Amino acid sequence: MSLLDRYIHEVGRFLPRKERADILTELKSSVVDTLEDRYGNEPDQAQTAEFLKELGTPRDVAASYHPQGQYLLGPALYPLFRMVAGIVIAAVLGAQLLAWGIGIFVAGDPFSPLEMLASLINSVPASLGWVLITFLILQYFDAKPDLGEEPWDPNTLPEINPEQDLKRGELVTGLVFGTLFLVLVTLFPQWIGFITTPGGKFYPNPVILDYLVLIQVSLLANILMEIYLLWRGRWDNLTRFIKLGLEGFSIVILALLVQGHTVWLAARSSGGIFDALEAISTMSDGGWELVGMHAFRLGFTVALIVTVIELIVSIYRLLKSKLSPDEMPVVVIRKND
Amino acid sequence: MINNAQSEQYQKLTQELRRGILVLAALSQLKEEKYGYSLISSLAEKGLDIDQGTLYPLLRRLEDQGLLQSEWNVDGSRPRRYYQINPEGSRVLDDLEADWRDLTNVMEKLLAA
Repeated sequence: MSLLDRYIHEVGRFLPRKERADILTELKSSVVDTLEDRYGNEPDQAQTAEFLKELGTPRDVAASYHPQGQYLLGPALYPLFRMVAGIVIAAVLGAQLLAWGIGIFVAGDPFSPLEMLASLINSVPASLGWVLITFLILQYFDAKPDLGEEPWDPNTLPEINPEQDLKRGELVTGLVFGTLFLVLVTLFPQWIGFITTPGGKFYPNPVILDYLVLIQVSLLANILMEIYLLWRGRWDNLTRFIKLGLEGFSIVILALLVQGHTVWLAARSSGGIFDALEAISTMSDGGWELVGMHAFRLGFTVALIVTVIELIVSIYRLLKSKLSPDEMPVVVIRKND
Repeated sequence: MINNAQSEQYQKLTQELRRGILVLAALSQLKEEKYGYSLISSLAEKGLDIDQGTLYPLLRRLEDQGLLQSEWNVDGSRPRRYYQINPEGSRVLDDLEADWRDLTNVMEKLLAA
């Protein structure tokens, strides 16, 4: 087989079957024309090799017929792929965390970080792979997603205002933990509490159970707002007001929880945590209950203070975002000739 | 080293500049049917060198876009695919030619300044 035939055959290896014969016949015909034009009717192997080298490697020549073939997934589908991949990964992580939670808290499986890591290493790339395969099939059939986007109007471009930019990482983290916590308080409310030692008896927190519905409503409202924010992509006045409202609601719930713990502790004549610690020496188990409830009250008090600070920051940001468009300096540098 | 880098940069820029005119150049020469190599020769004679790896994919693309038609001729010593501009291609060629003349006028003015 001649050098040219070997070359043509090699180019064919990188071409789609559908067009292969057509492209190769034309390529060979053209190469022979060029060789004859340059070297006469009987070019020798060295002359053929010289020209083929000039033409390029078989892979490059084949690639020139399909510039879009240089991408695994072309630019038409890539933005949608990114969005779907993100949602799928978040869903897989969420489902995995839920499965672990149920396994550990309900079925009593042992907590094994290495096994968790191993299953994540399996599930995340696998789900990403399935998304990619789906998109490759869509690309193969030249599917063009209709996202129902309205005609773009430059006048709708938002003002430049760094205060309105979202911190997506914070939002996603909040969303993941918020969802997990909501799942926990909804499916396993009896598991919110503490273990009294010695004895290892689990003691559910009775005050939290009293306010369970309010806690669920607050968590759900926060989750919905975070999803809306992620979808919208930026803060605006509406979302800032909603956030203020939700923070106010959280403050009310936290205040009720702190108050509830105080009442519970007062009913047991436990003024402070030191009284409770002292009670441990005299009581076999109840002392630890007091310590646990004191710890919960302390935790809720800290959360209350943090949320109040967040509320103040939110009010400050809202006021600042209302002022900032007018405050933005506009600098135009004009170069004079 | 700097010269090499500059030369490489120049090569890229000039390639980019030429890439834009290849469609117009190819369409302009296909009022009569030609096969690939004859088109390369025809363009080269008039001073525009284009390599096979650029021309053939371009011809296929123009055919896919409905601007050219082609057919195989197996009468000669080897099979050859002949391309020719179709009515839609002719209309596009007219528009592109007008654009080209406008552009060259503008560029003449810009470069003279």
